[in-house]
Amino acid sequence: MQGKDMAGNGINSSDSSSVTNGGWSKVLSENKASYLEYVDGWEKKIGSFLEYDIERIRSASCREGALAGIPFGVKDNFAVEGFNITCGSKILEGVASPYTATSVAKLQKAGAVVVGKTNLDAFGMGSSTDNSAFKVTNNPWDLTRVAGGSSGGSAAAVAAGLVPFALGSDTGGSVRQPASFCGVYGLKPTYGVVSRYGLTAYASSLDVVGVLSRTVDTARTVFNTMKGRDILDNTSVSHPGSANNGDVKKIAVLKVSDGILSKEVELSYAKSKNRLLSLGFELIDIELTSLEYVVPVYYTIATAEASANLARFNGLRYGYQSPEGKDPGELMQASRDEGFCDEVKLRILLGTYVLRSGFQDQYYLKAQKIRTAIRNEFNTIFESADLVMMPVFPTPAFKHGSAELDTFQQKVADLYTCTANLTGLPALAVPSSVEENGLPVGVQFTAPAFEEDRLFNVAGVLEAGFPSPTVPGIKDWSKF
Amino acid sequence: MKQTKYQTFIGLEVHIHLITESKVFCGCRNVFGSEPNTNVCPVCMGYPGVLPSLNEEAVKKAYQVAMALNCHLNEKAVFERKNYFYPDMPKNYQISQFEYPFGINGYFDLELTDGSTRKIRIHDVHLEEDAGKMIHEGSHSKLDYNRAGTPLLEIVTEPDLVSGEEAEAFVQQFRQMVRYLGVTDGNMEEGSLRCDANVSINEQGKGLGTKTECKNLNSSRFIKKALEYEIKRQAKVLNSGEKIIQETRLWDESVARTSSMRTKESSNDYRYFPEPDLPPYRPKADFLEMVKSSIVELPGIRKKRIKEEYGLNDQQAVFITGEKEMADFFENTVLLNSKDSSSTSKEFAATAASWLSGNVQKILNDSCLGISESCLSPERLFAVLKLIENNTISAGTGKKVLAMVFEKNEEPGDLVDKLGLAQVSDTGEIEKIVSEIVDANPKVVDAIREGADKQIGFLMGQVMKATSGKANPGLAQKLIRKKILK
Amino acid sequence: MKLDELYVTAKLAKLDLNEGEAEKLAVEVSRMLEYFSVMEKVDVEGLEATVQTLSRENVCRPDVVTSRDVSAKMLDNAPKRDDRFIIIPNVL
Repeated sequence: MQGKDMAGNGINSSDSSSVTNGGWSKVLSENKASYLEYVDGWEKKIGSFLEYDIERIRSASCREGALAGIPFGVKDNFAVEGFNITCGSKILEGVASPYTATSVAKLQKAGAVVVGKTNLDAFGMGSSTDNSAFKVTNNPWDLTRVAGGSSGGSAAAVAAGLVPFALGSDTGGSVRQPASFCGVYGLKPTYGVVSRYGLTAYASSLDVVGVLSRTVDTARTVFNTMKGRDILDNTSVSHPGSANNGDVKKIAVLKVSDGILSKEVELSYAKSKNRLLSLGFELIDIELTSLEYVVPVYYTIATAEASANLARFNGLRYGYQSPEGKDPGELMQASRDEGFCDEVKLRILLGTYVLRSGFQDQYYLKAQKIRTAIRNEFNTIFESADLVMMPVFPTPAFKHGSAELDTFQQKVADLYTCTANLTGLPALAVPSSVEENGLPVGVQFTAPAFEEDRLFNVAGVLEAGFPSPTVPGIKDWSKF
Repeated sequence: MKQTKYQTFIGLEVHIHLITESKVFCGCRNVFGSEPNTNVCPVCMGYPGVLPSLNEEAVKKAYQVAMALNCHLNEKAVFERKNYFYPDMPKNYQISQFEYPFGINGYFDLELTDGSTRKIRIHDVHLEEDAGKMIHEGSHSKLDYNRAGTPLLEIVTEPDLVSGEEAEAFVQQFRQMVRYLGVTDGNMEEGSLRCDANVSINEQGKGLGTKTECKNLNSSRFIKKALEYEIKRQAKVLNSGEKIIQETRLWDESVARTSSMRTKESSNDYRYFPEPDLPPYRPKADFLEMVKSSIVELPGIRKKRIKEEYGLNDQQAVFITGEKEMADFFENTVLLNSKDSSSTSKEFAATAASWLSGNVQKILNDSCLGISESCLSPERLFAVLKLIENNTISAGTGKKVLAMVFEKNEEPGDLVDKLGLAQVSDTGEIEKIVSEIVDANPKVVDAIREGADKQIGFLMGQVMKATSGKANPGLAQKLIRKKILK
Repeated sequence: MKLDELYVTAKLAKLDLNEGEAEKLAVEVSRMLEYFSVMEKVDVEGLEATVQTLSRENVCRPDVVTSRDVSAKMLDNAPKRDDRFIIIPNVL
């Protein structure tokens, strides 16, 4: 599909993908030795993988296919047969997955090879990846800082050029925020368009399979390979395609008051606005009246669903079992108490509480109704704009530890990303700039349901006009 | 009529295990009795990342039951999570239905012992998944998840039953109905039909009392006994001025009483919320039409019709319609007769009913087979009855032929020919033999002439002996009498 | 949130909290619940709860046996087993 932007610049959205043409299909064969050396060097610094083995399940991938030989990473809350599925938690340490997630299987069918499982905040709960029970992942741009969360491992691996793309999961921003922190693209598709079968559920009505990549084209190719209805996921749908060929003319830009965003993010946001104007897009300012409520609504619903989704982890059938416990009740309690980290326990308790008889109306039910109001507001905006633009996160990557942003503040900062999960709409984090402190900042676009093409179009135009910086020391294997 | 001090209120929660090829939310085999943990997959073992996928046959069967129970069908049925922890639960929540089940506010026509019927109200019919099984062995419990995720239909009645006897009758009649529908085999021993009872008593006219839940009622007989015990126990408690404790009580058959099951799980907040992984089910008109037309004639109605149409008595009608296979067999046999007009429908029907409840049932009992599992067919039974009717064989021989058909899986006609079982009905031939016997037994003959009618039996025996049992007994008797009592 | 409320909630969630843990978590849970209380301001008159993210209905699969046998792999993950059974201390 060829087209021109408003200013007459060519939009390159051809069928050939930057990931399939070129060096990535050779790194596991001809260039294997130097590739592995490269990965090793970076891994010592960033620790993005929990398990890494390029040979382990190569046979699971088809020899031929559009993505033949392309290595990719998968967040460790996805089931991949041949690898463990720890979800970054002690309670699932050493659990070998007996099956493979549908999204991963589709990529394997196209020839792509899972080379490892990436680090994450336990069960997807966190904004830093520091909630992993197993290791710390460092941001390739600044090793003293987090890679973001919960898909920090995937973002770091992609940013460092270890793999051209990696799968993550996005429940409240867990693909987009690390993408922004690491200067890569982070796609959150429309809810239901990519099967969730095989993705450990955190919040069933909010979770989606997401993609982190270094180019728009890669994200699009991977997305198109994975999308489609799956009988194993009754909430999945076939993608009807864009209703308007992915055309974008008008973008609604969220007006953010002074002082909310850090100075770097503010600058970066303004830059993105100017770029879009220069490319000929029409911008209108909007406000979101429901923004004040999105985080409480999000956490009420997410923790409620999570409290049920994590109930299965009790040490009886697989995973960590406590040595304490004279009866099954005690055994389950002890295993869960010893196996879960504090953040997970907090969310389980919250979620259990808001579902309790006597409290459900006030919290869970209320939140689900406000959620409808949020959806309605976005639907109204989309009647007069093709996309919505928002920041991704109020700050760039923060330092490890809670000094800069404590865990409560990290949650509050989810406000821009969790809207897309509450509404089920697709959103894309696009690398915007690297500011004075040497840290990347992204910007976020949200589209109406099933309009991923609009996201790819605008991101593609920005990519062509304003190529985003890459991590110093990175090797671009696509060029070999 | 004796006015008892207390009114009794019994409500039942019946679970039936639905017959389907695969489980309700995954593609595992839905069978009973396999090696432990062989019919399992990541879904029904509650592995991370799995999702439920709804089985359309389970849905269809659920609606069949809801319709047969005259329920109002919710416009939109919603699945919900019932959250609690137990070792046999793969996810530690059960996918069930709560606020919007498939069917609500139905009724069941319970036939009472005096022949009248009373409507027992059905609160709801909802679909859910079963848990795994635990086997207790000394200091350990062994977990088997084969049963986890198999489809269960729960039918909850209002507390309309008034005695243990009624509850027993309800379970028996309900079981008969769901077996007719073919949705379950309703086998209480194997656990494919389970029943819990909620029972309370209160002074006349004061409404429901404090209820207790009775569990471990593994047969309809236990239901009656347990409830009668529990009612008596509650009456004793109230009579002594105490209050009933709302609790769960287990029936212990070995000591014939209920005892309190004081567990930590007893007061549970299930925190029901709609299942996000399963879209709601909104039954469409064509689907409901299809389900309605698939519902067979229900036992109560069939019994009434068969009784009237074929002139059977109560006992016969009850037997014939006890199981659908038997009723089908009977009607198919009688249908064969309607093409042949040598006896009236009702006469033949009575004979067929009598044979089925007698000779046929004995053979089936001895071999532990159901009628549809045996090689007896309506055609074969019809053939035997016709052979008797047209005097080819005697009734006694017919019984033997029936047994041989079952044993050898051959046609009655072939057997009669092959083994030369046809009776002798030639008047001349029998007359000759009768003459011989009469002449050979003058004393007996004299006795008969003096009124010892029973001695005819002896002469009959002799005739049978002389004809190797082939003499037509009716004819032989006639000829003996003629000869002697001329 | 009062500590005993937390313990009730923890019991429902099958979490065995020790005293120190409970105190810490009570503070954090309280903070979140207070944050949630902003929802009280919203008038949700006439709004239906979003129960399903997409408005799908009637999703079923045909009644066929499809699973492939991975029981051996799954049983290998069991912390304690006895041949094909998974074992736990006695319930009673």
